[in-house]
Amino acid sequence: MKKILILAIALFAISCNDDDVPQIINEEEVITTVEVTMTNSTDPNNVVILRSVDSDGDGPNLPVNTITGNILANASYLGSTRFLNELESPVEDITLEVQDESLEHEVFYLTTASGVTIAKTDVDTAGNPLGLRFNLQTAAAGTGTMTVVLRHEPTKPNDNTLTGAGGETDAQVTFNVTVQ
Amino acid sequence: MYFKNYVFVLMLVAAMFTNAQECTYTLKGRVIDFHDGQPLVAAQLYVKEVNRSFKTNENGNYVIDKLCAGTYTLYVAHIDCEPKELTVAILKNKEQDIYLEHHIDQLQAVKVLVDVHDDHESSQSSTRINQETLQQFRGATLGDALETVQGVTSLKTGNSVVKPIIHGLYGSRVAIVNNGLRQQDQEWGVEHAPNIDVNTARSIQVVKGASALRYGGDAIGGTILIEPARYLRKDTLSGSITLQGQSNGRGGTLTGQLERYRKSGWFQQATFTTKRLGDYEAPSYVLSNTGSKTNAFHFNTGFHAVAYGFDVNYNYYDARIGILRASHIGNVADLVTSINAGQPATINDFTYAIDAPRQEVAHHALQASGYKRFVGLGKLTGTYSLQFNNRLEFDIRRGTNANRAALDIDLLTHSGAVHFLIDALPQVTIETGIDGTFQTNTPNPDTGVRRLIPDYNSNKLGAFTSIVYKPNNKWIIDAGLRYDRFEIDATKFYLQSRWEGLGYDVQYPQFEIGEQGNQILTNPVFAYDLFAFTTGAKRVFNEHYDVAINISTANRAPNPSELFSDGLHHALATIELGRLDLEKEQSFKLNTTFHANVGHLDVEVNPYVNSIQNFIQLIPTGIETTIRGAFPVYQYEQVNAQIAGVDVALGYDFFNKIAVEQTDTDNELTYLVKKVAHIDSRFSYLRGQNQTNNEPLIDMPPVQFSNRLTFFDVFHGIDLFVSNQTVLKQTRFPNYDYEVAVPQNDGSFSNETVRISESPASFSLWDLGLNFEKDNFLGLRGAAGVSVVASNIFNTSYRNYLNRQRFYADEVGTNFNIQFHYNF
Repeated sequence: MKKILILAIALFAISCNDDDVPQIINEEEVITTVEVTMTNSTDPNNVVILRSVDSDGDGPNLPVNTITGNILANASYLGSTRFLNELESPVEDITLEVQDESLEHEVFYLTTASGVTIAKTDVDTAGNPLGLRFNLQTAAAGTGTMTVVLRHEPTKPNDNTLTGAGGETDAQVTFNVTVQ
Repeated sequence: MYFKNYVFVLMLVAAMFTNAQECTYTLKGRVIDFHDGQPLVAAQLYVKEVNRSFKTNENGNYVIDKLCAGTYTLYVAHIDCEPKELTVAILKNKEQDIYLEHHIDQLQAVKVLVDVHDDHESSQSSTRINQETLQQFRGATLGDALETVQGVTSLKTGNSVVKPIIHGLYGSRVAIVNNGLRQQDQEWGVEHAPNIDVNTARSIQVVKGASALRYGGDAIGGTILIEPARYLRKDTLSGSITLQGQSNGRGGTLTGQLERYRKSGWFQQATFTTKRLGDYEAPSYVLSNTGSKTNAFHFNTGFHAVAYGFDVNYNYYDARIGILRASHIGNVADLVTSINAGQPATINDFTYAIDAPRQEVAHHALQASGYKRFVGLGKLTGTYSLQFNNRLEFDIRRGTNANRAALDIDLLTHSGAVHFLIDALPQVTIETGIDGTFQTNTPNPDTGVRRLIPDYNSNKLGAFTSIVYKPNNKWIIDAGLRYDRFEIDATKFYLQSRWEGLGYDVQYPQFEIGEQGNQILTNPVFAYDLFAFTTGAKRVFNEHYDVAINISTANRAPNPSELFSDGLHHALATIELGRLDLEKEQSFKLNTTFHANVGHLDVEVNPYVNSIQNFIQLIPTGIETTIRGAFPVYQYEQVNAQIAGVDVALGYDFFNKIAVEQTDTDNELTYLVKKVAHIDSRFSYLRGQNQTNNEPLIDMPPVQFSNRLTFFDVFHGIDLFVSNQTVLKQTRFPNYDYEVAVPQNDGSFSNETVRISESPASFSLWDLGLNFEKDNFLGLRGAAGVSVVASNIFNTSYRNYLNRQRFYADEVGTNFNIQFHYNF
């Protein structure tokens, strides 16, 4: 009995000396940035960049959207999308993981701007659409929204619609766009 | 021999009808030890109908003479053994040997508990689950077994994570005590089931209130006491082995127990369990990724003499539990899609594989205790224990993180206690003690995911005294008092935006110790003084009625989850935020128990009311938008809550009167009375109200009835049962629905209501089973049995309000369960 108590006290004493400062964890998987780059297929100087940045990940701050460049009417754009984690240093390019696990991912583009059509141009390793690259065709001038959604583990192949694809949403951003 | 009184007073009474006749028959035989076949000397036999007592002689023989034809109820008791009740039909002179189990710990007060009502030793409201009931749950979880107690329900995540709820309260508000040791297994999480193998329990007592002060005063919901086998003072070896298989999940359980006792006082007990299940199946689809694997091991050894003794035991438990794949979602739009679809988004073929999302938990508990008895005073007991709990949670992750745990927490707990029981006084029993707990929580930083629960050290030091006063056979009066000091010292990184958003930079600047990137390192330190007091009285009117009333008041300190939670919860797409400024909860509970045992009827009614000030609960406070989409924010808030309800339990025996002709008396008819059926009924009603916001409390158990009708000896000793469980729709729930914009294929957004509040419809489930048990099976020493149970026989599709996965999938469909056991 006494021995047990002594052992107990000893263990108790050992475990009390544990005041190390814990190591910081920077969220490794969170997507902080969605960046869509579109280049006019006839004018390489007409580059449009749509960027949405959520600097605190799942924290309370709202994502901030910025758009540089103008989307022209009756034009064709070659587009590509990147997903970044800018909380890590160096910045982690999550696009590479999406590409590596193409069977488990798909990017969807939805727009309300009239006459704008978006067609995915890349495929996963099984030949189904992936959506990191796309063609965007504009018609007359107008305004609307453009929504980019990254789905993890969607149904593949699917009916090429967001609602038909299912899966989990890893990123969902909406830009207000003007075709001029 | 006060236990004899209980047997005599409380056992259900078998009726007997006989015509007047000559009483010349004799019943004789031997009383034999079930385990070693040795005759038992000086066993007592009592024949209820004629109110006569007999004893066995030095060869274990007994003779009961002057019996009439008819059916007699025999109570057989022996100093080393469990008393036994048996019914004997007498038509002529008869010889019958009687086997007794020796399961008495001579060093402890013996309780013989044989009815729906329990704990005849105090005023608290409690119910015991006996060995026979536990036998039915050898392939199930602890939570499933506990649901057989009126007033106890379960909060589930799927079918494998089952958390007990007592009178509407769960988690940190319910203490689970395994073999005298309070379980420390991160019980704060709603998706954390107790890390205990139900097969190590020989009996379980559920105390419905904060009256079990010895185990801590903060269990304002109640205390679950899991008790292992009792010690025997006898040279013997006993054990059991059970093999269970089930169709739903396509797996089963193998469990065995071995116990060795020496008359010298040395003993060893061991239990092992292994369990494998694949995906469960709902009536119309496979519940993908709901398989599980569990292993458990328990070893206990020690020496028990009358004056002193010690024991050392070790408990190990590990489980790998798949979480329904479809319940892991990305954002609220996904949740809306799931709710509207009405079936899981991912349905794969049946598999035994357990992928992400899944939990992997391991629990180790090492305990050493010793006691010394002081003649004419009482018993001093000292205990030290070490518990180590590791919890891993694997989420759906990308790339190199796919096989990396998203949560990895080590919880190390040291506890020590010294108790003194003064039981030498004739009418008063006093128990007093001090205990301390030191706990270290260490989340592993290698997960790549910000910690859900931070690093912390906590200390708890407490003292209690309780007194039971029994002036006579009619009254029991008890009271207890406890004080605890709880201190917690945490080190936590907050996102700066969160720290400032919650106003902590103004409220708690003293906790800030550094900044790194966009995070702030803080050192919150809190201390709480916790008081608990309980008192009550019980009046036994005669052998048929008793009434008890118990009041208790207790404090509970906020747990680490309530203080520090901070982040996105993938199961319900919510952001959950703790609060540093939470105060202790204070509960006032009034529990009353009315019990009657009349003729064939045994009934207990237990109305109660629990008023809780500063009740901590999650309340939605707004919506936050992230790059992943919109999420509702739930924050821990304190409200005044009231939970009131009533539990009813009822047992009734049916007897059949059979006319038989006597074999050796002419022209005389006599009637045999045989117990042919038994009905068990339970009913629970509970009403939980948030009085601060004047709305119902969330996640309160709905009204439920369960009935079980058993027919005995239908065919060659086979018992049959049919049972029904009906759970009504919970009509009282707070409306926490909210609106979210869901992207449509044409690029527009539709505003949809996220219907998370509404409870599912009522449901009614039927089970059917048979049970067969035979002593000296195939000439073997011991008893063997087989049971076959079909549950949810109509393959009913239903959802359960208290299942966290009710938004995604139906509950399991029909399950055929077959179990073989051999006890020796």
